[in-house]
Amino acid sequence: MQKSLAQRLQRLLPFVTLALLFVALTIATPHFLTAVNLASVARQTAVINIMALGMTLVIITGGIDLSVGSILAVSGLFGTMAIKAGQPIPLAIALGIGAGLVCGLLNGLMITMLRINPFIVTLGTLEAYRGVALVVSKGLPVHEIPERFSFLGDGNLLGIPFSLWVLAVCAVVMHFLLENTKLGRYSFAIGSNQNAAYYAGVPIKFHLTAVYAIAGLLSGLAGMVEASRLMTGQPTAGLGYELQAIAAVVIGGGSLQGGEGSVIGTLIGAFIIGLLSNGSDLLGINPYWQQVTIGAIIIAAVGFDEYRKRKFATA
Amino acid sequence: MLLSLQGIRKSFGGVQALSNGNLEVSEGEVHLLMGENGAGKSTLMKIVAGMYRRDAGEMLWRGQPVSFTRPAEAAANGVAMVHQESLLAPHLNIAENIFLGRETDSKIGWVRRGSLVEQARRVISELGFQLDPETMVAKLSPAGKQLVEICRAVALGSSLLIFDEPTSSLSETETKEVFRIVKELSRRGIGIIYITHRLEELRSVGDRVTVLRDGATVHTGPLEALSRDQLIQHMVGRSVNATYHREPLPPGEPLLEVKGVSRGFVRDISFVLRAGEIVGLGGLMGAGRTELCRVLFGLDPAEAGAVEVGGRSINPKNPRQAVAAGIALIPEDRQTAGLALKLSIAHNLTMPDLGRVSSMGILNKSAEMVLASDYRERLRIRCSSPRQLAGRLSGGNQQKIVIAKWVARGARVFLFDEPTRGIDVAAKQEVFEQMDRLARGGAAILMVSSELPELLQVADRVLVMREGRLSGELPRPMTQEDIMRLAAPLHSAAETVQ
Repeated sequence: MQKSLAQRLQRLLPFVTLALLFVALTIATPHFLTAVNLASVARQTAVINIMALGMTLVIITGGIDLSVGSILAVSGLFGTMAIKAGQPIPLAIALGIGAGLVCGLLNGLMITMLRINPFIVTLGTLEAYRGVALVVSKGLPVHEIPERFSFLGDGNLLGIPFSLWVLAVCAVVMHFLLENTKLGRYSFAIGSNQNAAYYAGVPIKFHLTAVYAIAGLLSGLAGMVEASRLMTGQPTAGLGYELQAIAAVVIGGGSLQGGEGSVIGTLIGAFIIGLLSNGSDLLGINPYWQQVTIGAIIIAAVGFDEYRKRKFATA
Repeated sequence: MLLSLQGIRKSFGGVQALSNGNLEVSEGEVHLLMGENGAGKSTLMKIVAGMYRRDAGEMLWRGQPVSFTRPAEAAANGVAMVHQESLLAPHLNIAENIFLGRETDSKIGWVRRGSLVEQARRVISELGFQLDPETMVAKLSPAGKQLVEICRAVALGSSLLIFDEPTSSLSETETKEVFRIVKELSRRGIGIIYITHRLEELRSVGDRVTVLRDGATVHTGPLEALSRDQLIQHMVGRSVNATYHREPLPPGEPLLEVKGVSRGFVRDISFVLRAGEIVGLGGLMGAGRTELCRVLFGLDPAEAGAVEVGGRSINPKNPRQAVAAGIALIPEDRQTAGLALKLSIAHNLTMPDLGRVSSMGILNKSAEMVLASDYRERLRIRCSSPRQLAGRLSGGNQQKIVIAKWVARGARVFLFDEPTRGIDVAAKQEVFEQMDRLARGGAAILMVSSELPELLQVADRVLVMREGRLSGELPRPMTQEDIMRLAAPLHSAAETVQ
């Protein structure tokens, strides 16, 4: 019984870390626990968080998607360009998300049909999609977007940032998808043992393709939120976001070997990263040190997780 | 006395793997180490080989108290282990593997390829193997890999060699070869600890035997003084009827018809499986038995011929089509192909047939739990709950989950590829009973096995394969000699192990 208590405590570690961080920052600076600051943290993390939800699904299948940052840029550009071209805003947003879906679908098809390792495929599309963004925009950002578009990334609904609502809906849907649908179950099965899943007659190609398409779709959505938050479509948007998304999943207990990961864990992971960076800003810590801290936390989190698994592995 | 272990204890995160391990081995002795899965055999040996540290107890090496903290330290003292799963580097050649970790003569890390190969050749010919030291290890059969591991141990100048179930993946001929080597090594004064499950092979190799049960040594003594039944009783702690015998049923309608199926070197296979039948499929390693199962299950589609289930031609192109037609494969290697170890028992059980507990892609989790609990009872899977992770169960219980998921899927044709590999005596009996129950429920079973006594016990008739073709069919009563005669290669009398 003692063991299971200890195990349970250790499983809660990411949550405890987040809570401690929250309390520590509240004590350390009066500027932290204010509506304005918290809303800004929420807006900043929402983008990474939405991407990280898709990444969670991908990582559960034992794959990886390095192209999400580039997809974010492509979607943001397509969406904002559509608005500039006079399309109604909802349609433009749908177009941007659709662009993300197409990018993700392409990733999935290359992985399953050409049987290329996901790391390689998405390393390739990380470059290629970014190139598409640069070509389409000729390297120039899209400016002067109608003010109404800022609602998605900067507006409030019932006093809560709208992007946080978007994230909440995505998180609930993703949680349901992982826990209560065939797609979710098969994702765990494929990540845990692809061979066994194949032998059991699981349509692996179909489900893997769907998984990357969903990751692309969520990156597209994140791209629209980001574009709305900054009120510009940038071909260079989302540089390095893929690594933050992966970090959030991994800090939250996802395993790059596949078969493990959860929405709750990923949310906590993303908020830990968000609070660290916000806290450092408020406390006037050199942003270069922020990077060092986040890197150290990733390694510590994964290192601890491995230790926990070794310790409680029965021989 | 070469090695003496007294009261060895070891636990992993609250789970006691060893509570009282005792073992003594002298020079030139072949000492069998037996016990059921999870009895602590491997843990005890890994402590000797420096892979684990003991929590308590005494270990004497040539009379001196020692603790090997790393495998390299054990190796330097003359302890080597031949592992069940090969621990070789597949992309290096045989010579490089034999001397891995000790290849440098010069200080700057220069590897002299020529001299490595020469030294390897010497070791190999000394042991009388037929291996080319420049062959890539990835190209070797499991048997070939074990020979390389043996060469490695001998090249180290080891004085104690631990074999961890050396014959579990070998054919009869290869097994005899391993016995010859074991005898040869012991003649040279090397002490040998030989972990095994297989009761049949004991007499021909061992001097003394130590039996572990639930982490403690329960018996140690000379092998002659022990009957087979006594040995089993020591292992399982109660008496078990180890000579299972099945009463065949009158065969029913044909379920699986295989007509002239060919693929690769598997050529022109035809046979019929009827409801209620258990048909054995015998033959040597590499005769094409596993390959045939892969064809029938759609893993490698047939190039010619027809596969029919219940009179309908299905010719599966992938496992999905085979599964849909009611064919189930219980693969030889549960851990890599049969089970998702990180998933729960329930999730493994429903994997082939999630549609049954879902609608429109959405799962009905309570229906899933009900189904899982039901099959858990029916197949007597020992676990704390259907939510337990499959990876936490013993080999025998894992095997039951693999069977249960197909039963739940409603499969009627079962292909069992080496169903008893790596599971203990008591669990074997349960697997046989399980197969019998399936047959009585109207399933048709094809059982691939390299264990001739098991084929004789369980199968209603035995098909034998040789070099990719069916070489014959034996009705009851058949003998091991009958099977061997049909299985032995036609042209070359001596089988090469490579």
